[in-house]
Amino acid sequence: MTRRPLSLLGAVAALTLLPTPAHAHLVTTGLGPLYDGISHLFLSFEDLLPVLALALLAGLNGPKAGRLALFIAPAAWLLGGLAGFASGSPLLPGTVTAASFLVLGGLTAADWRLPSSGVSALAAALGLLHGWLNGASIAEAGREALGLVGIVGAAFVLVALLAAFVVWLRPPWTRIAVRVAGSWIAAIGLLLLGWGLRTPP
Amino acid sequence: MRRTLGVVLTAALSVVLARASYAHEVRPGFLELRETSPDTYSVLWKHPAGGEVQISIAPVFPEGCSFRTPDRQQMTPGAVIVRGTLRCEGGIGGKTITIAGLEATITDVLIRLHNADGRLESHLVRPTAPSVTLGGTTTTGQRVLAYLQLGVQHILLGVDHLLFVLGLLLIVQDRWMLLKTITSFTVAHSITLAVATLGYASAPLPPLNAAIALSILFLGPEIVRVWRGETSFTIRHPWVVAFAFGLLHGFGFASGLTNMGLPPAEIPLALLLFNVGVEIGQLFFVLLILALERAFRVLEIQWPRAIELFPGYAVGSLGAYWTIQRTLMLVGGLR
Amino acid sequence: MTRDRTPRPPAEAVLALLLLLAAVPVSAHQQTGQAAGFLTGLKHPVSGLDHVLAMISVGLWGAQLGAPALWLLPVVFPMVMAFGGFLGLLGVPLPGTEIGIAISAILLGLVVAFEARPPLWVAAALVGFFGVFHGYAHGTELPAGENALLYSVGFVIATGCLHLTGIAIGLIHRWPVGRIALRTAGAVVALAGVSFLWGAVS
Repeated sequence: MTRRPLSLLGAVAALTLLPTPAHAHLVTTGLGPLYDGISHLFLSFEDLLPVLALALLAGLNGPKAGRLALFIAPAAWLLGGLAGFASGSPLLPGTVTAASFLVLGGLTAADWRLPSSGVSALAAALGLLHGWLNGASIAEAGREALGLVGIVGAAFVLVALLAAFVVWLRPPWTRIAVRVAGSWIAAIGLLLLGWGLRTPP
Repeated sequence: MRRTLGVVLTAALSVVLARASYAHEVRPGFLELRETSPDTYSVLWKHPAGGEVQISIAPVFPEGCSFRTPDRQQMTPGAVIVRGTLRCEGGIGGKTITIAGLEATITDVLIRLHNADGRLESHLVRPTAPSVTLGGTTTTGQRVLAYLQLGVQHILLGVDHLLFVLGLLLIVQDRWMLLKTITSFTVAHSITLAVATLGYASAPLPPLNAAIALSILFLGPEIVRVWRGETSFTIRHPWVVAFAFGLLHGFGFASGLTNMGLPPAEIPLALLLFNVGVEIGQLFFVLLILALERAFRVLEIQWPRAIELFPGYAVGSLGAYWTIQRTLMLVGGLR
Repeated sequence: MTRDRTPRPPAEAVLALLLLLAAVPVSAHQQTGQAAGFLTGLKHPVSGLDHVLAMISVGLWGAQLGAPALWLLPVVFPMVMAFGGFLGLLGVPLPGTEIGIAISAILLGLVVAFEARPPLWVAAALVGFFGVFHGYAHGTELPAGENALLYSVGFVIATGCLHLTGIAIGLIHRWPVGRIALRTAGAVVALAGVSFLWGAVS
């Protein structure tokens, strides 16, 4: 620490140290990269809603599907994230996330019975795609890869709680409520795809 | 029955482990400006020091402000205090103060401005927005939110406190015991938090941190006893242990407030809300762990033995690691 | 470890989520600029009376028809409406939107008033057809500079809630007085639809 910490000389230096505006898709909590990652998942609907849809879908398919989704999706998310972080640029338009909304939301709305391999494949695809995009934008913004651990941890907790909740639901109307939620997510995905494909007027 | 709870927490703990490398207590800084005569302000700047991580931050005052008297610096345990007299042409209202170096930390700084006309302004400056433009009064609502936020933040970043609570959860056998244990931990740390913040007693930071680490280490063997189906005083009466060590942890929480050197009139409000914030964070953590345990049971997850034992070992070994590390720092500090 | 009993409600999960939600705004100020899109999307479907009446009528009708229409409609409708919005975003021309919406209010009001019971697929097709018009007209009106995703989320949630409101009101169908009230409401919606049609044509 300098003898005269209040020196005005610091002004210019300090202004150059001010952080550049955070990347649009990343959240800054001021609590470090881990908590940034956790809040990213809860504040970024393009990642949050597909995770919710996967949990709902897995829950509708029973405890085994729930277990598969719970472990495969976060693992794939981490893998995809590290790959994206290493590559440093997403190479994909953000609109591809609409596919996750449509597929997972649509299958939930239809209450589709999936074999274990189907659930595993969907969980892996979701994790790899979204992880890749997260990792790439973290790298682009020059931030720490530890944020990925936050995102993945939050996704794990969310899938565990929500999938178990859906498995636990017994009355028939609650299944309908889950399907309605899935159809909302698919509808949002369809609109999202529309925004992405829109030709400027 | 509670063994499943132990099973559960692998994910949470790997996160904790990932953090442990750079875990340190949240120690906010404090900048106070008091208008003594028109355009002249007495400055008090406290910034945390002497912790596990060196924090280099300093306020940068707007153009048109200069020091009338050379600033005097003073070292106290846990903080560096700087005083001086600042003169700002046309007053400091409407101008911007920046805390240089803040964005590289996870520390907050509380800035308070007492205007000569009695208006009080206070701002919580965070690494994401390290500067603030003065002018206007802060409403009580904003101050309430700022203290509440500090409390939640303190517990969420205090991995050692969370690990202690986790250890208690692993030992506790049923719901009623859980309620008693968490309540007594809460009561105990609220008592010492209040005592320390109001200035009746204080604990020097390095030995305190070592003792907190020791409390975590203490729980490790008890968890192993629970696994083996053995019993002990702690297992039969976890709330007693929770209360005793809770007193210790309360002093730890207090470091989040006392270092800021709040004005006496502000302390009751700050204390109450900071404490409420801590409880919100702690309650959230407990509920999250219980909900996860329930979720894992609903999903019928069969954990491998190694993962089942992992949370207990994590509590024990991290407790041991911190005890050794902090004791070494303590010994190093005495020399 | 006890696996023989049925697990009880995970009250902790609900509480934890609530606390989490309560904690989010604290750290959310970075995103407030974008949150405007969410509010706009949420407000939009509620702001037009024609839209509100048609959505609620769908719910009322569903309640009159009972299962399986009661649950099929809320699952299918949001997706059909989003499809309308999708067409609008792609710039696919859909002539007579305003007239279509007015006619949808008239027809939906009439089926509720007469408690019509067509086969399920006819009901679904009718509701779906009008859903496309509503989505087309309202799903695309995003103010410049606001977040499209959040707008869509708000839009879908608000529409879905209108729909659920209709179903909730429709539950009075189980009492004789309620049936008469529902049919009267249907007639009122049909009359309002006529006035919308008048406005759209002239």
